[in-house]
Amino acid sequence: MTTLSHAPASSRPVPNPQKSLITKLNMGTGMVLGIIFCWGTYYGMKAGRDMTDSHNVNKVLLMSMFAWSVGFLIGIGAFIGPFRWLIGKDLTDEEQLYLAGDGQGISRYFKYCTDHKVVGIQYLVGVMALLGVGGTMAMMIRTNLATPGSHFVTPVVYNSLVGLHGITMIIAMIIVATGPFGNYIMPIMIGAADMAFPRLNALSWWVLFTAVPVLCSAWFLGGIPTGWTAYAPLSDQAGPGMNAFVATIIIFAFSTAIAGMNITTTVVAMRAKGMKWNRVPIFVIGATISVALAIPAFPTFMVAMIQTAMDRTIATSFYDANLGGSGWLYANLFWIMGHPEVYVILIPGVAALMEIAPVFVRKPLFSYNAAIAGFAGIAGLSILVWAHHMYMAGWMPSLNGPFMVTTEFISVPTGLLFLVLIGTMWRGRPWMKLPMLSVYAFIWDFLIGGITGIYLSDVPADNYLHGSMYVTAHFHYTLMGAALTGAIGGLAYWFPKMTGRMLNERGGYISFWFVQIGFNVLFLGMFIAGATGQPRRVADYAHLFAHANLISTMGAYSVGLGMIILLWAIIHSWRSGKIAPMNPWGAKTLEWTVPYPVPLVNFDTPPVVTSDPYGYGRSAK
Amino acid sequence: MAHDTEFHVHHDSPEAVGRRERLGVRLLIVADGAFLFGMIFSWFYLRNLNTNQAWLPKGVHSFSTASGWVAAAGLIVAGIAHRIGEYNKAVRNATALIALVALLVGGYYQWHQMAHMPFVAQDADGRPFFNGAYASNWVLVAGANMFHYLIGAFVALGLVLRGYRTKLDPTLEEWRQRTAGSWFTWIAVSGILCALATSFK
Amino acid sequence: MSDHDQEVLPPTPGARVGKFLGRSDVRQTFILGLLYTIVFVVLGRWIYPHWMPRVLSKQMQANEDIMIWFTVISAPIAGVVLAIATKSFMNMHRGDTPPEEGIAIRTNTPVVIVWTATSVLFCIVAIVWGLVALNTESIAAATDAPKSIVVDVTGSQWAWSFYYPAQNIHTHTLNLPVNQPVTFNVTSDDVNHSFWPVQLGVKIDANRLVTTVAHADPTATGPLDVKCAELCGLYHAYMETDGAIQTPADFSSWVSSIQATGGVQE
Ligand code: HEM
Ligand SMILES: [Cu+2]
Ligand SMILES: [Cu+2]
Repeated sequence: MTTLSHAPASSRPVPNPQKSLITKLNMGTGMVLGIIFCWGTYYGMKAGRDMTDSHNVNKVLLMSMFAWSVGFLIGIGAFIGPFRWLIGKDLTDEEQLYLAGDGQGISRYFKYCTDHKVVGIQYLVGVMALLGVGGTMAMMIRTNLATPGSHFVTPVVYNSLVGLHGITMIIAMIIVATGPFGNYIMPIMIGAADMAFPRLNALSWWVLFTAVPVLCSAWFLGGIPTGWTAYAPLSDQAGPGMNAFVATIIIFAFSTAIAGMNITTTVVAMRAKGMKWNRVPIFVIGATISVALAIPAFPTFMVAMIQTAMDRTIATSFYDANLGGSGWLYANLFWIMGHPEVYVILIPGVAALMEIAPVFVRKPLFSYNAAIAGFAGIAGLSILVWAHHMYMAGWMPSLNGPFMVTTEFISVPTGLLFLVLIGTMWRGRPWMKLPMLSVYAFIWDFLIGGITGIYLSDVPADNYLHGSMYVTAHFHYTLMGAALTGAIGGLAYWFPKMTGRMLNERGGYISFWFVQIGFNVLFLGMFIAGATGQPRRVADYAHLFAHANLISTMGAYSVGLGMIILLWAIIHSWRSGKIAPMNPWGAKTLEWTVPYPVPLVNFDTPPVVTSDPYGYGRSAK
Repeated sequence: MAHDTEFHVHHDSPEAVGRRERLGVRLLIVADGAFLFGMIFSWFYLRNLNTNQAWLPKGVHSFSTASGWVAAAGLIVAGIAHRIGEYNKAVRNATALIALVALLVGGYYQWHQMAHMPFVAQDADGRPFFNGAYASNWVLVAGANMFHYLIGAFVALGLVLRGYRTKLDPTLEEWRQRTAGSWFTWIAVSGILCALATSFK
Repeated sequence: MSDHDQEVLPPTPGARVGKFLGRSDVRQTFILGLLYTIVFVVLGRWIYPHWMPRVLSKQMQANEDIMIWFTVISAPIAGVVLAIATKSFMNMHRGDTPPEEGIAIRTNTPVVIVWTATSVLFCIVAIVWGLVALNTESIAAATDAPKSIVVDVTGSQWAWSFYYPAQNIHTHTLNLPVNQPVTFNVTSDDVNHSFWPVQLGVKIDANRLVTTVAHADPTATGPLDVKCAELCGLYHAYMETDGAIQTPADFSSWVSSIQATGGVQE
């Protein structure tokens, strides 16, 4: 609501709003209150309940998890703002300045800090942690699958690994670009002083934060048997670990709704003077379309999870066929969210690469309008295709044809994304830095991901491929090959602005090749296994598939090694990398016009925009 | 600048802030609308499938259609009251209070209904369960209504209390009336849609 | 791609295209594209089928055709994309300072139109192909119904069981006569499973208290693997069995041998 001063932080005293509670709260008080709430709920509810009834167990566990989340948020001060609004004593300027973390150094990363740059860094670290956890699980999965016989883990552990790897990665991928770059970079890119709702920005991060221990608790509650899609009625039947999954999704859905509405509002309402819609950087467009698509898409997953929770706690029968329920209901609700969600993940990654390509080729973005049409077309169509995940469910065979038509048509806007990138490259002389390398990797990986999607959307072929490793390979090419590659490119590109230092190039290159070569070996092997007829999500397989699986595992280790190198490069560069100049790539977007550390309000004088940021190149006669 | 120990806070214009807040709330309404869509989809999908003839198993009681509309009445009254106050400043303190009371009374009614559901049965071990898909869907819809009552009451209470404060920015508060108006209208619409859905037994 | 390439544009579109095609970078890109296309065609036409299991039914044949021909059709498109990317990659600039500015091509409307039209065309081919296949299949399923052999399939955690109503036998392997259409009525005792007789190339979920239907036309004899394609809990990986497509004579004697043991397979 306010724009804060831009005098150098070090020269000002830490604002000290007198007697205000907010100065005393931080992550520590949040944890303490969260744990008290959690244990209080647990023991309070357990007393006098028949804990041999699984419904009661689920009730107690779920409520304890939510209590943790709410307790933490109270403890860190998330509800002070709303409460003060309620009683009509809005936060004072001084208090808001304090919340923005002005002059508080490192400690603001552990507080309810409203500065979008702090939130961006929090997201970045959070994403890296999630990717690390999910990646470790992936290594364990591939180790178990290296040879037939399931020698490494038991089936219970294997199923949990598959499910928790999946959901951890999906969560990580949903926030991987819009979290760090959407929060840190995007407001600067559009010339804004902060996000539209700084306190909600902090809220979205800390809500997400509370989901992480909940998700981890699944391991201590016996894991989950369902995979990331959590299909019912298997989820109704599942043990206590399933509660952790359900609670995580519900908490996460709140976080994304808040973040999505905040980012959308910021871009719609807070662009710099002169930044008409056709001058907005393409990353901003992509990120906004992505989060705006998430706003209507995610709540159906929330409905599905609440229904799962109700079946498991109060014995409703949404998914119990005996009592009128149906697993098809779950599948529909899930995929009405699920398919848009895959594009929520994809679009910001591609958009980041579209931001990168013109800078390094020193040419304008080829057909800005085609890029927007591509994103918008994908977003629009993506809400009409969900049942291509259910061709073989038998829920309504007569709809297979129509859904096949809508699905195939997604390749038209998808094709535009390729056109924009290769058009930008055409006759260019690319500056082969790390971010640009990612553009090339994306083209190869997404080409394969997209083309295999076309087989999958054709019903007769999906008859054979559905539920096989082929599907797994397809969506890793899109999620990891395309979206994660885009995000890593984005990190290499914006690292100087976010940390003030250059990302170690040699480490970056070595990591890049380990990851990309390993990745292709890994998932080409998986395509072979799938085409040969290996179902997905299996702990063990026949000897027929042994070669393909061994190949995949070798590739996976290479990816793992590459990722460790990347992590090293990031940590090393962050601490002692080469100091970055203000605009190391010679880019024309606004974020490169501010120094590091970026001042509290980003700009000394609000910028005025007179053209789009792609005015590279000499004109062709 | 380096020795400038003063810090200052620039305010965006209340007009801009108010607009922004309304857009934000409307986007949240979109999300809530998708949630409502999910519920209504569930209702009609399971009703249509009627797996095992157990949408409403024989002998299981349902709520009367009228009770569904009564449960929505608080939301509707609050919505109308707020709109009146929004356009007529003179009665605003009174309408705010009416909205608050309507939401509290309606919320109580909704809670009362949920405490007396006719379709909860007991299994062989004497443990309660919801007998049929109608019952399951009903309780979800009622829960969503309840959620709207609670959030609505919070907003209404805030508006009542803030009505007595004098130090607030009048332009911004005017915008906030409109923003709250979007929300109240939405929960009334949502209540009506829920009442409509639940009348298809 | 030296500068004088764009100095004077020829007057007519035809001449412009001619000049464009004559450029060395365009020629190189073209050759690269051709190479990529050939690679993909070979992959689709000869390597894919090699990975896929033996074709034992019309349905499996339809799947394989799609895998092959979609790869072949998309090969030129993939070829164009990869060729342009590769050509630009080969032209890279290294070092710590940015390269010289490129050419300010903002867009090129004919290119955008041609590109979009091509992808729409490609889409339509894929859709029509799929719809025709789908339609053929559902007509076949309907007309074949009277002469079909019926198998009731039940999935339960974690095994498949089969009941042949006409023969009145219960089995845990899936044997079928060749050249006779088969209808599977599939259901589940517990959670969702997905019935997948691999070499028949069909698949359908098994749901509790619901019957879903799949249909296949076995066209060759050979061993059959039956798997579960939907994660169904602990031993999902081991929820498999086998069987065979047999000659009618072999099938009859298999049926009789089971009927001899009381209609329940040992
Ligand atoms: C050209 C565009 C695409 C088409 C036509 C397409 C088509 C499909 C189809 C038909 C399936 C269902 C396969 C089955 O289960 O039988 C599928 C699965 C999947 N796709 Fe795509 N896809 C496309 C792009 C993407 C993108 C961009 C992403 C993610 C960024 C993605 C992620 C996924 C995921 C996660 C699944 C599997 C989900 C699961 O069952 O666990 N796809 N795709
Ligand atoms: Cu999809
Ligand atoms: Cu299974």
